[in-house]
Amino acid sequence: MEIKPRTVGNVAVLAIEGRFDANTAPPVQHWLEQATATPGARVLVDLTETTFVDSTALATLVSAMKRCQQGKGEFALCGLRRPVLMIFELTRLDKAFNIFVDSEHALAVLNA
Amino acid sequence: MMLVSLLSSQYNRIQALAEAWLAQGAQAFGVFEQGRALAYWPAGQRLLPADLSAAIYCYNEVVGELRLSGIRHKAAQQHLKAEAELIGYMLQLEYELQCMTADLVASQDQQLALYRLTQAMRDLVTVRETLTAVVHEAQRMLRGRAGFATYVSTNGGDPIVVQSEESRLNVETIWRLFWQLQTEDRPLLLSENDGDLRRPPGVHNLLVVPVRVRGMVVASIGIMDRAEGFGTPELKLGRALADQASAQIERILLYQEMVEQARLRSEMDLARRVQTDLLPRVLPEVTGLEIFAYSRPALQVGGDFFDFINLPNHPFIFTIGDVSGKGVSAALLMSMTRTALHSKAQFMPSPTPALVMRQSNEDLYNDFTRIGVFATVFVGQYEVEQQTITYANAGHAPVIYRPRNGRAELLLADNTAIGILPTNHFQNRSLAMAAGDLLIVATDGFSDARNEQDELFGIERLLNAVDELSKLSAREIADGLFDAVDRFSAGHPQDDDQTLIVLKGVEP
Repeated sequence: MEIKPRTVGNVAVLAIEGRFDANTAPPVQHWLEQATATPGARVLVDLTETTFVDSTALATLVSAMKRCQQGKGEFALCGLRRPVLMIFELTRLDKAFNIFVDSEHALAVLNA
Repeated sequence: MMLVSLLSSQYNRIQALAEAWLAQGAQAFGVFEQGRALAYWPAGQRLLPADLSAAIYCYNEVVGELRLSGIRHKAAQQHLKAEAELIGYMLQLEYELQCMTADLVASQDQQLALYRLTQAMRDLVTVRETLTAVVHEAQRMLRGRAGFATYVSTNGGDPIVVQSEESRLNVETIWRLFWQLQTEDRPLLLSENDGDLRRPPGVHNLLVVPVRVRGMVVASIGIMDRAEGFGTPELKLGRALADQASAQIERILLYQEMVEQARLRSEMDLARRVQTDLLPRVLPEVTGLEIFAYSRPALQVGGDFFDFINLPNHPFIFTIGDVSGKGVSAALLMSMTRTALHSKAQFMPSPTPALVMRQSNEDLYNDFTRIGVFATVFVGQYEVEQQTITYANAGHAPVIYRPRNGRAELLLADNTAIGILPTNHFQNRSLAMAAGDLLIVATDGFSDARNEQDELFGIERLLNAVDELSKLSAREIADGLFDAVDRFSAGHPQDDDQTLIVLKGVEP
């Protein structure tokens, strides 16, 4: 797995490539903890190149989302491939997260 | 000096030569050093002018002279020369013996020091302590002015540099020497005589020896400014010290690994015990249902669980779930979740799966949020009169339902997992559970099982397997599913817990 952080306008973006699971979650968690630490943080996780997520990965995203919400920030996901989206649908997390088709749409909304 | 010591140790033999000469008619015989008589026969005789003399050579250098008075023929001259040569040769032997003795004593001292070092190092438990001790000893034994040592950990620890108080080298210089050593893979011997540019400024001479641990150069010991310079014996001793350091570092690493393994093992054992001991050991007997449930923990235990509430005058309720995370924390949270669900299901006046779920979510939400976990949960309740199962699904997958005359299908969750939303409006759903109807609730350890090619077992394979096994008993279906996932992932270790409950409707 590889993670690629960048900043676009006011939004901190993290692209995750490859398998996102219990073995690869720690660096993502570390990044998300820092990104969501400031009140009002706008954070986007780009899953376009993510091939798999397990429950640890989902937990990592859930706790980041909650932290963000506590700080009145915004947290969004984008670019979920079919197999990854299916995991979100199976666990009904698609209802909990703000999910965009791609980073372009997500950034347009988050930066508005 | 050497001649004097030979004379005193071999006095009788030299005197025998003198007496032989006197017996042949010589007036006097003497051994001289730099024109001075060291021994002269007959004793007490005044020195006479020499008629014959022969120089004593030792390593091609004149170290003395034999002088003879009263005889002057050619044969005597030859004889005298032969005796001088013999004495020269004895001197040489004597000198070599002295050198060997000195070497022996020195190497014995070194061995003793090495032994003491080994003894002293046995109590050292860190690499830094070991390097400090070795530098100290190397500096003392090699009689260098200062010393240093380096170490690079192969398992991600910080690199270490230790220096004796006298060392004024900067750390970059020391690391440069170490990288040099690692590239060349042999001791580095630098002195001001060879003009080698790698010698740090202000250092007269320097010996750096590599320390191998498990076949790799991971450390070095450096000693500098030995008054006599570094030669072969110092190199040998340096290597012996490096070997000592290497053995000790290997011992320390092994110890650290053992401690770490023991810690992990006991943590894993605890997690496994929490998980397996808390799960029901007896399958419930419920009219109209055939029930089988089993949980197989992964090496790194996850947070899977299942549970039954089967009491008289109480609907039969079953739960199955998966808390995110691994190890002890997951096992503890799983027991917390299971207990919350169990007490709601047991003590609520008229429980329904949605109510049990909703109250458990309220109980657990704050704690889960603090820790950053969630739990997918499926709660089912069997109504024997209606032959139906009412259920609520909080993000749990895979759940498979197969009506007796239909195909296996995946039931999607209606609600998100427990611990995600502060208030969650769970819905009850209903399924027919007459004879031949089949409900299988598994955990993602099944669908996410991988094979060696990194492919997922996936939902499709699971559905097909259920269709194939559907005519069998609940227990046989469960066995068949475990077999199917095992065959698929052959060779690939089980990543996550695999847990399932199989319910099959039977004639009451």
